[in-house]
Amino acid sequence: MRLTRRDFAAGIAAGIAAPYLIKSAHAQGATIKIGMCAPVTGPAAESGGYAIKGAKLALEAVNKAGGILGKQGELIVEDDQTTNPGIVLAFSKLASQPDIVGFLGSIRSTQVHAMAPDVIKLGKPVMIGGTDPNLTHMGNQWLFRCRPNDSYSGRVIAEYGVTTLAKKKWAVLHSTDAFGTAGGKALTAALEKLGAPPVLDQGYANQSQDFTPVVLAIKQSGADILGSYFTFENDLGIFARQLRQLGVNIPWVGSPSIVNITALKLAGPALYNTYGVADYAEDSSEGSKAFGKIYRDAVKVAPDNQSSWTFDAINVMAQAINKAGTTEPAKIREAILAIKKFPGAEGEYNFDQNGDGLHGYNIVKNEKGNITFDKHIEFND
Amino acid sequence: MDLALQLLFTGIGIGAVYALVALGFVLIFRATNVVNFAQGEFSMVAAYLMVVAVEAGLPYWAAFIVALLGMALLGVVFNLGVYYPLRHRTYLPVIIATIGASILLANSVLAIYGPQPQVLEGWFETPGIQVGPVYLDSQYLLIICVTICLVIFNFWFFEKTLLGKKLQATSQDKEMASLLGISVSTMIMITFIYSAVLGGLAGILVAPVLFVSIQMGSTIALKAFAATIIGGFGDVAGAIIGGLALGVIETFGAAYVSVPYKDGFAFLVLIAFLIFRPQGIFGERVAEKA
Amino acid sequence: MSAPSDNMPIPAPAIRSKPLVVRHLPYFIGAAILVWLAATMRFDGYVHNILLQATTFSIAVFGLSVVLGLCGQINLAQAAFFGLGAYAVGMGTTDLQLSFWLCLVGGCAISLLAGAFLGMSTLRLGGHYLAMVTISFQQIVTLVMINAIWLTRGPDGVPNIKRPELFQTSQSYLAFCVAMLAIVGYLVWHLADTKLGRAMRAVRDNELAAGVNGIDVFRTKIYAFALCALLGGLAGGLFAGGFAYVSPDQFSFAESIVFLTMSLLGGVASPIGSAIGTGLLILIPEWLRFLKSVPGLYLAIYGLFVILIIRFMPDGIWGFVADAFTRWRAKIKATPAAAALQLKPATIGGDTVLEVTGLSKHFGGLKAVDGVDIAVKRGGVHALIGPNGSGKTTTLNVLSGLYVATSGRIVLDGTDISHMPPHQRTASGLGRTFQNIRLFRSMTALENVEIGAERPGNTMVGKGDDALTERAMEALTFVGLGSRANELISSFSYGHQRLIEIARALASNPTLLLLDEPAAGLNSTEKLELHELLKRIAAQGLTILIIDHDMTLVSEAAQHITVLNFGRRIADGESMAVLRHPDVVSAYLGSE
Repeated sequence: MRLTRRDFAAGIAAGIAAPYLIKSAHAQGATIKIGMCAPVTGPAAESGGYAIKGAKLALEAVNKAGGILGKQGELIVEDDQTTNPGIVLAFSKLASQPDIVGFLGSIRSTQVHAMAPDVIKLGKPVMIGGTDPNLTHMGNQWLFRCRPNDSYSGRVIAEYGVTTLAKKKWAVLHSTDAFGTAGGKALTAALEKLGAPPVLDQGYANQSQDFTPVVLAIKQSGADILGSYFTFENDLGIFARQLRQLGVNIPWVGSPSIVNITALKLAGPALYNTYGVADYAEDSSEGSKAFGKIYRDAVKVAPDNQSSWTFDAINVMAQAINKAGTTEPAKIREAILAIKKFPGAEGEYNFDQNGDGLHGYNIVKNEKGNITFDKHIEFND
Repeated sequence: MDLALQLLFTGIGIGAVYALVALGFVLIFRATNVVNFAQGEFSMVAAYLMVVAVEAGLPYWAAFIVALLGMALLGVVFNLGVYYPLRHRTYLPVIIATIGASILLANSVLAIYGPQPQVLEGWFETPGIQVGPVYLDSQYLLIICVTICLVIFNFWFFEKTLLGKKLQATSQDKEMASLLGISVSTMIMITFIYSAVLGGLAGILVAPVLFVSIQMGSTIALKAFAATIIGGFGDVAGAIIGGLALGVIETFGAAYVSVPYKDGFAFLVLIAFLIFRPQGIFGERVAEKA
Repeated sequence: MSAPSDNMPIPAPAIRSKPLVVRHLPYFIGAAILVWLAATMRFDGYVHNILLQATTFSIAVFGLSVVLGLCGQINLAQAAFFGLGAYAVGMGTTDLQLSFWLCLVGGCAISLLAGAFLGMSTLRLGGHYLAMVTISFQQIVTLVMINAIWLTRGPDGVPNIKRPELFQTSQSYLAFCVAMLAIVGYLVWHLADTKLGRAMRAVRDNELAAGVNGIDVFRTKIYAFALCALLGGLAGGLFAGGFAYVSPDQFSFAESIVFLTMSLLGGVASPIGSAIGTGLLILIPEWLRFLKSVPGLYLAIYGLFVILIIRFMPDGIWGFVADAFTRWRAKIKATPAAAALQLKPATIGGDTVLEVTGLSKHFGGLKAVDGVDIAVKRGGVHALIGPNGSGKTTTLNVLSGLYVATSGRIVLDGTDISHMPPHQRTASGLGRTFQNIRLFRSMTALENVEIGAERPGNTMVGKGDDALTERAMEALTFVGLGSRANELISSFSYGHQRLIEIARALASNPTLLLLDEPAAGLNSTEKLELHELLKRIAAQGLTILIIDHDMTLVSEAAQHITVLNFGRRIADGESMAVLRHPDVVSAYLGSE
């Protein structure tokens, strides 16, 4: 059969019409709806999948325990395509459904920035995982963070290296994206405060194929400890291998990606004996252990922060709505800010007036490929 | 000095990867006058084929052959599906179709295999050797050797064999070639197969170093494309030299100027070449015929 | 015989059709209704965002329809230009506290300059190089946006971007953007029918023919490229105001590809197509959200569609529709009657209209033309003949400037044109046709001839489009094809296409007409017609220099013949005497 131009045109027309038919067949039910923007497509699609699973597991548990305001909770997921315009559209699509009472935003800070104007306009609570400290400090009262922000990760890395490991000559390495830049800045600031300003502060662009110049710079700087913020696991893997090949064996404390499953798989022995800060560490608390068990049973993969923060976000939101006794946004907000000593998978939630729920990090160690919990460092200011 | 030697080795290693991919670009360009924007995806697909074959339990060498055969097949499909229907149109639609093909290939792999980066073991047990102050990564050594072999092979193939000469004739003057009884469409098919296999070879060789990911092809391909222009578009030796030069410039630029702007050096060099020496290192100035 | 020549512009005939504004009134009414709807209809946030995105993206895609559709040049950096405009508004209204309008204009200016610079550096190289340079530019802009944190705030992006006082609410801002879209759309739509637009289309269809018809190819390309960049910047500025937040990843190479696909999908040559393509590409991902369960599937389908569209709908969706419409309209549209064509070649120099002395063209060691002298007398037909490979066509190409002479001097009507590029030689009064016909294939016969009539320095055409059309109609009628003026080139026979090419040269009122083997490929009836046509042209006093193999045609039409062999002149003089010259006889018999 030959495909003619006309057949093709007819095909396009049919393709354009089809989604409408599907959409109109969709029925509505009497549930409490929570919207979620997650990267189903694009570079972060993998972690997006984990995030959705974490949220669904939490909602299942909430529903089993009586639901939200006596109704069953329902999760409505929209794909944010891992892009900023994508999340703006995804969020506004969710926002246009008046029966959605609360939302889960993104773990990526730039995406939260992009959707923030629409969040203010809508005026309903949005739980976020993006760790740029500014997000909760720019006057947007509807953003609530279910992960510790980067000012804490930087402080924890610095604190652990300087006090526990007793090293003062730091090399700081970070990616030049939003996450890496903010992290690097926080770490440098914390080190200066502890009287150990870094001897090398080095940025790198994502998806670099080679880190030889970076490794040699670290070698030459004479640093005796390395602090890092890596965004992508394959960059981390390439760097770790080259670091060891070129004979650099100084202690290394990294941002959460260093203990990420994919990174462990890619880098293998090159990451042995490194330390990582982790907002989620399975052995850090009872809540973490409990989540780890549920997640392993359901998903058959080791749990990580991609799923733990959405798990907590749903639980926090459900508890706040139940406490408030209503779905009125201002009341939910008050209820969220009133949450203290709430045991979550990520740690103990004590919301402050900015909307930050967590104020500390766990330090974990890579013992021959196994991640073990070392200690938790919490700040009260 | 030690530092410079180490950088030089890495630069040549990464440059050899660019050169291999650039070679695929040049061959297709010479035969069809088309720049294939999906060339980088050939490398990516080959690396995934290799991973699948190894996971299926094949020995490494058998997996290698299976992956390259798969690439040959992809070359055939690519020619028939993307280039052949458009062969009488101008370069613009063909460029855009190859861009479409690159999106299709990358995301098909994503849909089938998922977004997790994969690990592919290298050819050798030992990861590398220390020679004096310089650490030589065994996989990079292999890549450099393969590149040298390919330069020799290409010379022999295009200058000494009948098939090679037929391919040369086709790329220089299609009408004349067909008058001489050479089947132009067969020659173009062979070019696509060869170039897909070359791209695949680059992908398989570099996978143990860079890991296997959806994006691995596109980043390399852009640099390789720049290498072909620096070397002189359509020139095989130029592509190799251009690739190596780019790898070295990039590595030294990162070490001595700026790491975050590393990817920019390639493009700055490229723009400088286009403005001051558009024919590249080896190319001749192209004049249009009336 | 020298024709009377006053060389003065003749007054444009006073036929006025309705003014453009009146003819296009329906467009403005439609646009006004759309703006009103955008200002008053109640949308939820989702629809509003979609509309705002579609509106601003459309303007950027309009830019591509100029550079790619009209001018046939590729631009893979439209997202970078879009980003320049967006960042100008973003940083200007927040960091610098400047007015939105100032920032918008500034962003447009920056994009325009960047586009012009990029164009100047590479447009001479064309095609693949341009693709690569635009990619490089795109990558560098992205890198700077990410890494120059002191300037751009780096990957965090710029939040809280301001809107103009006048359009604070989302609704009014959307209406403003729709109004901008309508205005830009009108300009781009109308551009195709202006002198610049026709020049761009000519460059797209055939660069060589455009050059010898008096178009400065390089400058035309730069204009197109700079215009494209300008629209990208404008769109970016509006986008930044609309969404109040910009960050580097919104302006990446991937986005440039998206812009390109939008342009292709809808139809690259028209703003309507661009708008359709943009709308669809923003909506399709929204509709296809149900495919989201498998990551990558949606984009894989998207890639497949790009290939299929290129294969089956080369002119996009709108091109597909418009093509059918144009064919239908060409049949019904009556062609106006035209007056007789007036040819008044300029006579500034003396009796000799073309004086070639010591002309040489060497290709490496090959002396294709070697020290040739030719003197073409005013009026009548001069033939240049010689066996195959004798250097005739090379001589013609050197004369019209497609090749640069190795040495020698060419004086046309008293002006030394030896060092001019092709379009300036045309402006000086040189008209030519090609052995293998070079017409602008996507245009009608009339449009092709209009481009000829637009020659700078053509004194036979008055001001305005109507005068131009009239001149073109006269030329087409002169060659006997006036009744088919509005048909596309592809519907004409080979012989007729040759006549259109001659009409295109005639419409420019040249001082000297170069005909490169005009009889090649014609049957005997057509050859007779051609002979008649040459007589009628000569009767108007226009000098013709003809190359042909057809000895009958040459001996009957030409009064004067120059013979070349192996790049050298072997005979020159009055026709009959030259043809009996022993060297000429032996050259022909020896070679054939």
